[in-house]
Amino acid sequence: MPEPVPTRPQAAPPEGEARQRVLFRAGGFEPSAGRIAPWIAFAFILAGWQAASSSGILPALFMPSPAAVAAALWNQVTSGTLLMNIGYSVERIVWGWLIGSSLGLLLGFAMGMFSLARSVGLPIVSALFPVPKIALLPLLILWFGIGEPSKIAVIALGVFFPYIISTYTAVDGVPRNLIRMALSFGVPTGAIVRKIVLPGAMPGILAGFRITTSIALILLVAAEMIGARYGIGAFILAAGNLMQTDQLVAGVALLSILGLIIAFILGYLERWLLRWR
Amino acid sequence: MIRTSLAAAGLLLGLLGSGMPAPARAADAVSVAALHFVSSAPIFIAKDKGYFAAEGLDVEIKFFDAAQPIAVAVAAGDADFGITGLTAGFYNLAAKGVLKIIAAQSREEPGYDFVAYIVSNKAWDAGFRSVTQYPGKSVGITQVGSTFHYNMGMLAEKLGFPLSAVALKPLQSIPNVVAALKGNQVDSVLLPNNIALGLVAQHAGHIIGYVWQETPWQLGALFTSAKNVAKRRDLVQRFVRAYQKACADYAAAFLQRDASGKRVFGAKADALIPIIQKYVQPRPSRAQVLASVSYIDPKARLEVGDIYRQVAWYQKMGMVDRSAKTATMLDLGFIPHQLDMPRQ
Repeated sequence: MPEPVPTRPQAAPPEGEARQRVLFRAGGFEPSAGRIAPWIAFAFILAGWQAASSSGILPALFMPSPAAVAAALWNQVTSGTLLMNIGYSVERIVWGWLIGSSLGLLLGFAMGMFSLARSVGLPIVSALFPVPKIALLPLLILWFGIGEPSKIAVIALGVFFPYIISTYTAVDGVPRNLIRMALSFGVPTGAIVRKIVLPGAMPGILAGFRITTSIALILLVAAEMIGARYGIGAFILAAGNLMQTDQLVAGVALLSILGLIIAFILGYLERWLLRWR
Repeated sequence: MIRTSLAAAGLLLGLLGSGMPAPARAADAVSVAALHFVSSAPIFIAKDKGYFAAEGLDVEIKFFDAAQPIAVAVAAGDADFGITGLTAGFYNLAAKGVLKIIAAQSREEPGYDFVAYIVSNKAWDAGFRSVTQYPGKSVGITQVGSTFHYNMGMLAEKLGFPLSAVALKPLQSIPNVVAALKGNQVDSVLLPNNIALGLVAQHAGHIIGYVWQETPWQLGALFTSAKNVAKRRDLVQRFVRAYQKACADYAAAFLQRDASGKRVFGAKADALIPIIQKYVQPRPSRAQVLASVSYIDPKARLEVGDIYRQVAWYQKMGMVDRSAKTATMLDLGFIPHQLDMPRQ
C-alpha cells in the first residue's frame, strides 16, 4: 500500500486581492477536420471554375466547364457504361492490391524481424522500387499476356515495394524497451510478435495502406493501357486519345471519388484496428 | 532578341535610307512540330536544302513522340505548323475551330507499301493468311481513334463485316503492340512497313498485306493554326511553297517506278537519304529509309474528299463530335487544284 504523499500546505490567497485568472496556454496545435468547411470550399472552387468557363476566361479548348464534365458523367450513367467501367477497375484494384500488399506485408515483416531477410532484402528492394512500372509494360505483356493477369500484375508490382518499406519501417520502429521488457519477463517469441510487435507496428502498416491504395489508383491508368476495353483508366485513355477533354476530366473525377471512398473505408478500418489506443 | 533589334534596325534603315541599298529582310522565325519519322521527310528536306530560308523563313523543328501532342502544340500556339497522321483526336481538336489542314503528308497510294497487316506466328500457323479472315480475330492497335483503328474500320466497311466482329485491343504504344504480337497475345497488328519488315526478319510475324491494297486513303497532313491562316496568310503561303518544293524533290527521289511498276531508287534518293538520317531517330539504315518512304503527293495536294469521309466515319462511330464541320477544318487556298474535291 503506497504511503500517502504529504501535501504541501497551500498558501492562502491574500485577503482582499481577487484571484488572478491564468490563461490556459496549452491550446492550439490540435488540428481537427471539420465537416462543413470542406463542402463549402469545394462548392466555391466549382462555382469559380464554372464562372471562369462561362465568362470565357477559361476557354473550353484548355479546360472543359464543370457543367460539361457533369454532362459527360451523366452520359456514362445513362449509357450504362459507368457501372461496367467501375466494376472492371475495382476488381483489378482489389486483386492487384491484395496480392501486392499481402506479399509486401509478409516480406516487410520478415525484413523487420530477421537479419538475413533484412540484409538480403533491403538492397534488392531499393534497386527495384524506383523502376517505373510503365516502362515494363512490354515485358509484362510478354510474361502475362494482355488479359487480366498483366493488369493486376502492374498494380500488384506498384503496391508491393512501397508496402515492403512501410511495413519494414513500422516493425523496426516498435519501441525496443517494450520488447526487452517482455524478453526479461520470459514472454515466448510468438506472444511477443502477437502482443507487442504487431500492435506496435499497426499504425505504420495502416499508413502504408493509405499510401498503397493511392498508388493502386494511380497505376490503374497504366494497367489499363494493356488492351483494356472497359475500366476507368481505359475510359480516361480513350478520352485522351480522342481529345475529348470533358470525358477526360469526368474520368479523373471518377478516380478521385473512388480515392475518397477508399480513404473513408480505411478511416473506419483504422479506428477499429487501433481502438486499443 | 538580337533578331528583333536587327529587324527594328532594318526597319529604321528602310525608312531613312532613300539613297541606301535596301537591307536584306530578317527571316521570320517559325516552328513546325513533327515526329522523328521518315514521313516528315519533306520538312527535313526543305530545312536542310534551304527552301525555307529562300522564302525568308527561319524554321525550327520541334520534335514530339506522338501525333496527339503535335496537334495540341499547334492548337495552343507552341508551334506554328504541325505535320502528322490524321486521328480522331486531331479532328476533335480541329472541330473547336483552332486547326486548319493546308497540305498533304503521307497517303496510302496503290503500289507504295506503308502500313502492313501483320499476323502473329500462332495465328499464321492456325491458317490466318488473308485479310478476309479478320472477323473473329483480335487486333492490337496503338490507340482508340488512331490511324490503325481507322484502317480496320475501312477494311470492315470494304469487306462488309461489322467492326465489332474484330476484338480491337488498344495498347497505347508501338512497343506494346510489338510485344503483344511477339507473345502471340493478339492475332494481328497493323504497323508501318519498316517495323513490319523488322518483325518478319526476326521471325516474329508474317505480313499478309498492305493497307493500300485494300483501302487507299489520305493518312497525314500539314496543318497550322486558324490564327495563322487568318492573320499571317503570306507567311503560311511561303511555308507551303517551300514544303511543296521539298515534296517534289522527295517524289523525284523516292516515288519512281520502272516500266513493270517496281519501285526504283537512284542517285536522287542517295542524295536525300543522309538528310533523312540526320533527323529521324533512331538513325535508320539506308534499307530502313527505303522501307519507310511512303507516298507523298509531289505537289502536296490533299485527297480532300477522303478527309470528309474520315470525319464522317469517326462521327458515325461516336469518336468525333457530331457537330464538327469538316469544311471549317480545311483551308484549301494555299495549294491550287487539290485532289478529289467534293462537289459543293
